[in-house]
Amino acid sequence: MVVLEEPIKGIIDVKNYVDGEWVDSYSDEYREIVNPANMKTLAKVPMGSVEDVRAAADAASEAFPGWRRTTPLTRSRYFFRLKQLLEENFETLSRICTMEHGKTIDESRGEVRRGIENVEVASGIPSLMMGYNAEDISQGIDEILIKQPLGVFSCIAPFNFPFMVPLWFMPTAVATGNTYIVKPSPWTPISMAKFMELVDEAGFPPGVINMVHGDVKPVQEILENQTIKGVSFVGSTKIGRDVIYREAASHGKRVQAQCGAKNFLVVMPDADMPSTVSSLLSSFFGNTGQRCLAGSNLVIVGEDETFAKKTMNLIRKAASEIKIGYGLEEGVQMGPLQALHRKDRVLSYIDKGVLEGANLTLDGREFDSGGYPEDCFMGPSIFENVEPDMTIAKEEIFGPVMSVLKARNLDEAIELVNSSSYGNAASVFTSNGKTGRRFQYEVECGNIGVNIGTAAPMAFFPFSGMKDSFFGDLHGQGRDAVDFFTENKVVIQRWP
Amino acid sequence: MLKTTSQLISFHGKLEDSLSTQLKSLADRHPDLSEKLYELAEENTRHKEMVQRVYREGVTDAFEVGFLTNPLNEDEYIINLLEGNIEKAVKKAIENEDTAIRFCRDAAERGSQLIPNLSQTFKSLIKRKERRKIVIENLLRN
Repeated sequence: MVVLEEPIKGIIDVKNYVDGEWVDSYSDEYREIVNPANMKTLAKVPMGSVEDVRAAADAASEAFPGWRRTTPLTRSRYFFRLKQLLEENFETLSRICTMEHGKTIDESRGEVRRGIENVEVASGIPSLMMGYNAEDISQGIDEILIKQPLGVFSCIAPFNFPFMVPLWFMPTAVATGNTYIVKPSPWTPISMAKFMELVDEAGFPPGVINMVHGDVKPVQEILENQTIKGVSFVGSTKIGRDVIYREAASHGKRVQAQCGAKNFLVVMPDADMPSTVSSLLSSFFGNTGQRCLAGSNLVIVGEDETFAKKTMNLIRKAASEIKIGYGLEEGVQMGPLQALHRKDRVLSYIDKGVLEGANLTLDGREFDSGGYPEDCFMGPSIFENVEPDMTIAKEEIFGPVMSVLKARNLDEAIELVNSSSYGNAASVFTSNGKTGRRFQYEVECGNIGVNIGTAAPMAFFPFSGMKDSFFGDLHGQGRDAVDFFTENKVVIQRWP
Repeated sequence: MLKTTSQLISFHGKLEDSLSTQLKSLADRHPDLSEKLYELAEENTRHKEMVQRVYREGVTDAFEVGFLTNPLNEDEYIINLLEGNIEKAVKKAIENEDTAIRFCRDAAERGSQLIPNLSQTFKSLIKRKERRKIVIENLLRN
């Protein structure tokens, strides 16, 4: 078995990056970052303090006037340089991601690629942030709309995409002329630490892009600090809605909170089964189920029991053959969960599912971790005969667990999807265009897949989300992002 | 068994390296054919790099990337040593190209399940490798 070389050799002392310098945190509390596959310590990261954020906010605020006056074309050239450096370090970044998160190397490379795509989109900012105008709104009077940056923005990033998620926000924010503070997840901070080395190498002026590590204290300060004009967040609904959205809004900030999910994947009897099964596996078990776009509830449509049985036999067989192990082994298809407490959470849902009477037909508690410590590993689990009111059908599990429900027809399937309090993503598998269109039209979710298991929007489209999956007005990525990070100013002018 | 995209790409790289090594070794034993053989060997490196580039630029967390439900068996693509006299070695070299073509065909079929551009790239390699067979066959005629 080929194990790719690990780019992290010793234990990294992760530092903040403020005003173009690597600085120690004011906090003396640290967390050890552990590789969840082999439980080796990779780094120690500060838990952060109010002072850390204040220092970064001051630096960003001071850098803002100069950066704002830097022309969009010049700003875009910084991103071209950054893109080049990211390509040169593509493999190192991917392997770091696997080491700190646990995902497979294919998944990490996919994540890094999607992060780079956001840098590429930001490089086109001279066109993207153009306003518009109307001549002669009254005789001799013209009206123009210009888009202007607001100041300092910040993101509070989750553990599950340590490289990609901060890049959903930062490149567009900075390219539009704002300055920025990245706060990576305190569980997976190394990817951003490496990324910030490349930011430094690309030569961005001091204070334009800053990074502060930590947990609750820096988050609280980001929400309250009056210098920071807006916050982007990705994480759970509870934190996103009850803390981030409310607190940020109460302090007059712009906010976009991309939150939890319970995604339904609907399989129609006319679906192409080989490609459907492959998509389902990737959606439910890819990234070890730790994706806000991951499949969670599978709905098999139709009254034909033979079709349902045949489908489940195929899925169960394929899922049971998924190779588990360290993501730097090239043949591994599913890595560990990112941390012990995340596995405990998933296990508690499996217990609930059993207790509530669902039929556990593939038990992920029994697995072969390929010789690695079993701590964070588990196998794929499948629950069949799941009822819509069961806990496992309603709550976000965030692990490799598939709950299988049945619907007699498309109407019932759509009703099931729409009964969820979440609205992040849903997919339908069918060979009928009319079914696909009806699904996209009627389903109340922000990201819809038609014969796509993980409907992840590209960098030039917004990462949508509805209901309990999103709080705010403008989403991350795409044109929404440009609008989020700029103020529309209207000028009406007459030259007598 | 090759069950992931990463494995597929790595194995293809090894296959091209192996073809290249054999052709270079044959070139060193037959200086009169070395220019052509070295050209062919360098082409193997370009093929490897082309596939790696397409993978790197096409791999994405969006859609699906990793699960090859119908894996490939690497033992079915063994590259021969180009031993013996030149006639025998050329025959083996053509067999090696056939092996590479077979791999590219299988990878193209599986690749559409992974990264669509990857499938197209393997298909284009099949054409190039068919042309290489003619070049190798002609080595003895010139």
